[in-house]
Amino acid sequence: MEIIDEQIDSVMILTIKGRLDASNSTELKTKISSLIDENKKSILVDMSGVDFVDSSGLGSLVTCLRSVAQAEGKLKITSLQHNPKNLFETTRLDRVFEIFDDRKSALKTF
Amino acid sequence: MKSRKIKLSIDSDYDNVPLMGAVVNKLCAFISFSDNDSYATELCVSEAVVNCIKHAYGDNPGHEVVVIFCIDKTRLVIEVCDRGASMDPQLLDKRKHLALEFDPEIIETIPESGRGLPIIQGFMDAVTYSISDNMNCLKMTKMLKHN
Repeated sequence: MEIIDEQIDSVMILTIKGRLDASNSTELKTKISSLIDENKKSILVDMSGVDFVDSSGLGSLVTCLRSVAQAEGKLKITSLQHNPKNLFETTRLDRVFEIFDDRKSALKTF
Repeated sequence: MKSRKIKLSIDSDYDNVPLMGAVVNKLCAFISFSDNDSYATELCVSEAVVNCIKHAYGDNPGHEVVVIFCIDKTRLVIEVCDRGASMDPQLLDKRKHLALEFDPEIIETIPESGRGLPIIQGFMDAVTYSISDNMNCLKMTKMLKHN
């Protein structure tokens, strides 16, 4: 998995590439934690490059959402591929996260 | 059609799970599963293998996880087996919807883990767990669709 970060105005965009699964889910938690420490609490996770997510990957996103919320920030998700999107719906996490079809729509909401 | 079977084995290291997933995905494509069903089957096997590494072997590498992939005319049967600590078989009933029941408005109620078995049970038509000769096996069955 690769995480690329960039900042647009006050929003940190994390673009994830590859799989988000049990073998690497702690990397995302570590990354989000370091952003919170830097007081960067408006975070958009771009999942357009993620072709596989498992329950550990979902769990890491829930952990990140909690951490950001506790810091009074916002974490949102954009550009889910078809199969990961289905998994969010199956596990009802589509009701928990704010999920957008594209970056532009997401950025307007911060 | 007689049944066809392949037995795969990995060491209990999380880095090996994507390798097993990739092989299972290819096997599903070989038996003409749709992309969606191939993805779901890869996901179920990955979840089961991760459970072996995490719960049966306590996150320790150096142990064997075996996956047996068996296909016949009517069904796909996949067994994921380990020789570590056994799971309480009753978890299959308890976990079915537990991790999926929460209030989305209350962030503290949203579980961070425990979705593996519900995901497996959601996709597969039957899931059973057996313990025999110090071998634990999660057996997942998917009935095949015929046009």
